[in-house]
Amino acid sequence: MDTLDDLLEKLRGVLGTDGLLTGRAAGRIYARDASHMRLGAPLAVALPQNADEVAQVLCLCAGAAVPVVCRGTGTGLSGGALPPDGALVLSMARLDELGPVDSHSRTVFAGAGVLNARVTTHGHGAGLAFAPDPSSQHASTIGGNIAENAGGPHCLRHGVTRGHLRRLWWCDAAGESWVSGRGLACERGLDLVSLLCGSEGTLGVVTGADLALVPSGAAVQTLFAVFPDLGDAVQAVVGMAGSGLLPVAMEIVDRTMLLAVEEAFAFGFPTDVEAAMIVEFSGGAEEVAADAATAEKILLAGGASEVVLAADEDERRDLWRCRKKAFGAVGRLAPNYVTMDVVVPVGNLPRLVRDIQSIKEQYAVGLATAFHAGDGNLHPGVHFDDRDPEQTRRAHAAADAIIQRALDLDGSVTGEHGVGIEKLPVVSRMLDGVTAQLQEGIKGAFDPRGLLNPGKKLPARGTDYPEPKPAPSGLRVDWESLTVTTPANRPLAEVQAALMERALWIPVGAWLPRKEGNPGLARAGRIGEMVEQLLPCPGLGAWGTARDMILELWAETGDGRPFHAGAPVLKNVAGYSLPQALCGSGEVFVRTVAATFQVRPIPPAVGVWVCRPGAIPVGPSALGHLLDAVRSYRGAFPGAVVWYETDGENLRGDCVVMVPGRDTAWDLAVLNGRIRAAIAEAGCDCAHHEVTGFRESVERLEELGLQPDWAVSSATWTTLTALPGDRGHVIPGTSRGILYQLNPQVWWVPEAAASDSPWYADVVWENGRATPPAPPAAGVPLPLLEGIKRAFDPHGNLMTPQWLRS
Amino acid sequence: MTERPDPAALDLLLRRCVECGLCLPTCATWASTGNEVLSPRGRLVLMQDLLEPTGDGDPGALESFDRCIGCRACETACPSGVPFSLFEFGKELAAAARRKGAMPVDDPAVPSWLVGRLDRKPVLRALGALRPLAVGPRLRRLASSLPSAPGDDAELARLLDRLIGSRQEGAPRPADRDSATHAHGTGDVAIAFFTGCTGPSLMGATSRRLVDLLRHSGAAVRIPRGQDCCGALAGHTGRPQDREKLHARNGRAFAVQSKCDWIVVEAAGCGLELKGSGDFGPAAVLDATEALARLDLPALRPVPLKVAYHAACHLEHGQGVVGPPRELLRRIPALELVEPADPELCCGSGGVWSLEHPDLAADIGLRKAEALLGTGAQLVVTTNPGCLGQITSAVAALGAELPILPLSDLVWYAALG
Repeated sequence: MDTLDDLLEKLRGVLGTDGLLTGRAAGRIYARDASHMRLGAPLAVALPQNADEVAQVLCLCAGAAVPVVCRGTGTGLSGGALPPDGALVLSMARLDELGPVDSHSRTVFAGAGVLNARVTTHGHGAGLAFAPDPSSQHASTIGGNIAENAGGPHCLRHGVTRGHLRRLWWCDAAGESWVSGRGLACERGLDLVSLLCGSEGTLGVVTGADLALVPSGAAVQTLFAVFPDLGDAVQAVVGMAGSGLLPVAMEIVDRTMLLAVEEAFAFGFPTDVEAAMIVEFSGGAEEVAADAATAEKILLAGGASEVVLAADEDERRDLWRCRKKAFGAVGRLAPNYVTMDVVVPVGNLPRLVRDIQSIKEQYAVGLATAFHAGDGNLHPGVHFDDRDPEQTRRAHAAADAIIQRALDLDGSVTGEHGVGIEKLPVVSRMLDGVTAQLQEGIKGAFDPRGLLNPGKKLPARGTDYPEPKPAPSGLRVDWESLTVTTPANRPLAEVQAALMERALWIPVGAWLPRKEGNPGLARAGRIGEMVEQLLPCPGLGAWGTARDMILELWAETGDGRPFHAGAPVLKNVAGYSLPQALCGSGEVFVRTVAATFQVRPIPPAVGVWVCRPGAIPVGPSALGHLLDAVRSYRGAFPGAVVWYETDGENLRGDCVVMVPGRDTAWDLAVLNGRIRAAIAEAGCDCAHHEVTGFRESVERLEELGLQPDWAVSSATWTTLTALPGDRGHVIPGTSRGILYQLNPQVWWVPEAAASDSPWYADVVWENGRATPPAPPAAGVPLPLLEGIKRAFDPHGNLMTPQWLRS
Repeated sequence: MTERPDPAALDLLLRRCVECGLCLPTCATWASTGNEVLSPRGRLVLMQDLLEPTGDGDPGALESFDRCIGCRACETACPSGVPFSLFEFGKELAAAARRKGAMPVDDPAVPSWLVGRLDRKPVLRALGALRPLAVGPRLRRLASSLPSAPGDDAELARLLDRLIGSRQEGAPRPADRDSATHAHGTGDVAIAFFTGCTGPSLMGATSRRLVDLLRHSGAAVRIPRGQDCCGALAGHTGRPQDREKLHARNGRAFAVQSKCDWIVVEAAGCGLELKGSGDFGPAAVLDATEALARLDLPALRPVPLKVAYHAACHLEHGQGVVGPPRELLRRIPALELVEPADPELCCGSGGVWSLEHPDLAADIGLRKAEALLGTGAQLVVTTNPGCLGQITSAVAALGAELPILPLSDLVWYAALG
């Protein structure tokens, strides 16, 4: 084995003298992060320039059995980037490549060291933004955001980091490089992206990612409301969640926090109120104006003493600066603080806030809170001065009481800051023994020698765990928190029907019961099938697949050990993301018992256009006009569908366009003009147009026989439009297509499946039976998947695809 | 000897840092290297070392402070109110170590004996005169980073006319431009003008135009005799006694102007030093842009150009003067004001810092030049001669063409040109 000096010499050979820091100053600085905790002193700090150097560093460290701790800019709050004694700190700061924005596919490549805010600035010209926006976004890196599965205010509407990753470039502990994810929203198989995201650098080192961008609204309106009572403010958030409005962000800062920010920046905000709330809407100009007016009424009725609208971009920016600088400003309140990031179901938020006030009084501590209120995520900060031992003890006791209270209210100990070392003592309260064992199994499969960020994320072996949370015996809807918990044997159609009573659904694309035989991509079977096979595939009105909507999972391992993972909350980074990773894994690793999903309002209306080829012969490229018109629509609801059939050259029969939205003068009516123009330009007639209800339009899809049985899909619009041979928008050999507008994604129904095609082809059903998931793309680490299979199904009792039999 | 801050007081200030890291992306040396030893948060950690009685010795810590440009962008970014002027102590220790040869240093662009004399007007004047003769990469770099601006008014007008394409047909010429509305130097405000060293040595015409502009805006302007360099450079180069002497000399020179309302400073760097250096009686020390924004400017004619404003750190972060320069530019009709990406990042000039750290300064300068070119602006304006020279040199290194002028020259053109 190499001596440490040998290792440093070799590292210097790879990185150059400028890329390896061994001095005392670097040792002192890189031993810290934003958590205020300390662990040890690093051996050295590596500053690689590219992914290749990262791989070489990992390989050398593996050879010398030296642990490696990855670091972005050290803005983490749970101590995830702190090195233990003798570890190498692997700084990703120099991997700052930012690729061109693909505005059709709404993606961009970002190196791990790219600063979060830079991605949004970069997409600005194309009208796109990177949705996760942690308060540290100007300083935190994409790599760090992925490692922590970062959230931020705007994740209320768009979801946390994991949902915005198309593809990850990463290195394993031995320095092997891999690419995971094919950029598809709907890909069966164990989802390594979900495991790596939020793994806090304990499973692999992400060097770059294809990020999904979201359209920035054409207009943004931001309300600032002040409340004489904090409880009223929190209750107003619950009211807003149930109103059917879809704000992009809903934030609260309490009085103490407001005072600190005001002292720091003198924005001129009122300081004689108990709570200030920011509610933001984004979309079309009339749409956001109408929504903001409705929201204002809800807030005033809920006890706001004043609601004002940010007059211009400057005022809006000040509001967000106030919110986003709140954390740093607490340095003015006390020399030390414990910041938590507990999260509870939104409906339980008022109770938690009340209890926190009691805890504050009981322990006689100073406390300031900033809330991502819309998703139930709180950042209470308990202040103390560490020169006073008694005060320090009380502060930590109060923090522990708050965390326990959040757990009692069905919450999570950490929504977005991560476990790191800070929450190791409490994360065990959220796991059961089997889940903990499975998490260790995953860690062991990725990093058998335990060299990647050791001592983080997972509790030490020998920790005591509570019993698994009992699986639900029946359907349970939390109408305030907008979640549904259901046993796996319930038909999805039945669950959706129950939710439809209050105009809600699990927005995965369908609720029609499946047919005999082939159940169809857009049809619903049992909840268990939805979880295991990722069916239905996203269709009309869908926000994503079950993987995007699942929050909590009860399942059994291959050898029959029941376990529970996740929590019924919108953000949760306590442990690896098992519900998301296992969702779609096709009965290979676990048997699903029950699950909790988030629910959302159904679209109020759907515009339906049927176009018919006119007298002029229409080539496939005519479709392009239609697809572009639909793609450029940026309404409140995703999941537009375009259905067409061709004879290889020309459109054959009717082409159907369905766009979910709002039946208003500013929404579907405006789109109607654009679609008709596009149809005319394509040389077609608009044979039919109507605005109908959501249920009716799905039934209409059924009547028209437009629910595909299976399909291939493409990740990007670019591949769609870049088909060879000027063949326009249709893949040779395919006759039917269905466009799904969310990500945006494109699906085809070809004449025959070609498993070696660049398109994702995954035949899920054959003769009424689910087939095993397709083998992962070349280059995916098979030994890793085998290791995880052994951890979940040690005796091979579950389905084992041929390619997984080593 | 540098005065050691009171450890207890300093500890309290250091404790304000919550280590959030929001300062990192605003620090040019971090942005250029990705190395946290060269970041504000890192330097705060090292400050604690320097406070320990035996802490002066760690060359890594001294090097970190030596490489700090002193732009104070971190102070603007800090939500916790850490006074990053604390770094001055570290920088002074580093400067002393540099003089004693007690610290490894970058290969400087020019010999250190020359760096320490750049606050002497004859030296600057000689360098300015010899600029065309500079041979060798180092001297060329020094020469190219010396600020310059169009010497005579006609040359400035020609440059801007050419940029605009042609004089705007029918653009209103202010009728009262030469009338007695603002009689020359008989206004209500009495100004004592601080010239600094680069003004008279390298950019005399710009100073003259600025004074002209102030007078046409209703101020009575005098230029006190006996004034000298502001003292900043002496501080940067580890000569605290010289700095004190210069402060005292300027104090005496301006004390004579007991009746002046404002002491107006042309260069942002000098302004920061003067504002922090001492007592000028009841007179307020103002940056030229602050003064102009408060005065009643002559009518301005349209300047239909896309103009990028490069905020000099010593003005924006050091003096906290953010609004006035932008407000002045917005007052010019037809002018489109833009700002580069990451506007808070320093250009890498930092007085003589760029000469002591030529490679790092060149990289930081290129980033700034790229950001400015990325705005699509036709012209860049700024308020500090150091920035002017640094950006000119970086734009040239990229092989691009983008004129850069003192902000006051552009206002002069709109008002009096």
